[in-house]
Amino acid sequence: MIKDNINIGLPSKGRLRQDTLDVFKKKRLKIYSERGERDLFGRIKKLPNIKIIFLHARECIEQLSLGNIDLGFSGYDLLKESTINTQKNISIKKKFNFGKANLVLAIPDLWLDVQTLLDLDEVADEFKKKKKRLLRVATKYPNLTRDFLYSKGVTQFQLVQSLGSTEVSPFTGTSEIISDITSTGATLKANNLRILKDGEILKSEACMMVSKLSSKKKRLKSFINLLTK
Amino acid sequence: MKLKNLSEKILRLIKSKGFKNIELDPVLETKYILQRSGENFKRLLFSFYDLNGKELCLRPDLTISSVLRFIQNKKIKKDKVCYSGGAFRKTYQKKDSIIKNQIGFEILGSNDKQKEDREIIETSIKLLNNSGFKRAVLKIGNVELFNLLVKKLDIPRRWKIRLKRYYWNEKYFNELLKRLETNSDIDPVFVEIDKSRFIKMRKDNQNKIIAGRTFKEILDRFDMKIKDPRRASSGKTNTKIIKEFLKVKCKLENAPERLNIFFKKHNLNIVVGKEFFPINKLNNKNLKIEFSTSLPLEAEFYSSMIFSIEVKKGLKFRNFISGGRYDQLTNSLGFKSVPAVGAAIDMNVYD
Repeated sequence: MIKDNINIGLPSKGRLRQDTLDVFKKKRLKIYSERGERDLFGRIKKLPNIKIIFLHARECIEQLSLGNIDLGFSGYDLLKESTINTQKNISIKKKFNFGKANLVLAIPDLWLDVQTLLDLDEVADEFKKKKKRLLRVATKYPNLTRDFLYSKGVTQFQLVQSLGSTEVSPFTGTSEIISDITSTGATLKANNLRILKDGEILKSEACMMVSKLSSKKKRLKSFINLLTK
Repeated sequence: MKLKNLSEKILRLIKSKGFKNIELDPVLETKYILQRSGENFKRLLFSFYDLNGKELCLRPDLTISSVLRFIQNKKIKKDKVCYSGGAFRKTYQKKDSIIKNQIGFEILGSNDKQKEDREIIETSIKLLNNSGFKRAVLKIGNVELFNLLVKKLDIPRRWKIRLKRYYWNEKYFNELLKRLETNSDIDPVFVEIDKSRFIKMRKDNQNKIIAGRTFKEILDRFDMKIKDPRRASSGKTNTKIIKEFLKVKCKLENAPERLNIFFKKHNLNIVVGKEFFPINKLNNKNLKIEFSTSLPLEAEFYSSMIFSIEVKKGLKFRNFISGGRYDQLTNSLGFKSVPAVGAAIDMNVYD
């Protein structure tokens, strides 16, 4: 890669991609791809030194930490979930008003007796004492979930890594409860789950992030200024 | 080299008190740590998988390895052991070493608890006398005293369990006290909404399972919660009593009297005798001995007597030896309870 070129990582799919493209549009920056919509590379008209790479939002964080992209758009939740080595190479330049969602702890709606984390802690203790096993929490966010539960005094639990459709885990025997990202709570409700009263782990939104390994690139700074003005 | 010589000298002293030196496995199954301390402690482990998929880790402390050895060797008689070596834990603090050098000694499988507690403390004092440190404080406490207090308080059973379970975790314990003092854990609005669902579920098959719990388990606990609410005023009074209890600090020989005055003042109907204190008085000019109800435990497994010896190094007092009784440790690892008392010397004090 040419030294002074700027590589920008954008989300490759869904609403986050569209909202991010709108940020560029508002600044009159026209992104185009030579090989159509499925092309994962793009350019910005009249700015030949900038290369766009469309990536999965999680991949965007990884590539920023490696310095393979200089600027990236992804979720705050994904940054906070990443490892400490990843996080220390990335800084947030701007938080946006889209991609808003909360990481929450959800339990089966029919667990009437569980309203707060104090209740959950007691149930976790019951699992250990009576059922001789730990309460299982399915999640795509093991680090954030572990830290949150422990900070609230819930220590007797086991994390189960989920790769998708986390909401079904309590009803397929994979776990008893889940932590997952939700914007309206509708999917949780549709799957007979309920958010604990004090079960909000993290508020998230889309962020513009920069790789700390790219700090010497002169053009990057002025481009960030253009996007954040 | 200096540390190695020191370790050898300390081990010789411990052995002279009848403790048998044993070698502990440097690796153990991660599941035991998960069972004992849950997920959060697991992240501090250096863990890995063997070729059969079993998750193993470097020992994060020596006590757990020693207790596992006792159980797995199916020992039934009293065992007096000592050991030394490194315990391995990840750390977020740059200045902290990932290897904690420890020397431990313990008595397992003996029911003569008072005698064994005394022996562990006396051995610790002997080690202190030979350590070269001139000024020290021996602090003694007993978790059972706190449990007795909580048992007598007018608070719901679930709160008693909570407070006992988190007595060791100072930060979270204080948060619990705040909750006990102020807000309620039962929301009347939610209770009203859920009451109708409760009645409906009661009519259904009670063995139906929702995410690992039967209808009966869910509804019984719901019922217990709404029938045993906590009154805001008693929450405040009880928090005040607990906070006052945790401030009790005095000379060890005055501890029974001091505690009895406290319990009488609050009409708690508890009388404390000598059985809570393995030693009474020691004639050692350089060693200050005090009783405290709020010793930092740093581990959830202590069940009754606890103690620590802090030595003066420079201008500060630093922990040198700490220990106590942990009869429930084996139980938390999924085995039957084994009486156990022991102590560990933090060799990093010599750094």
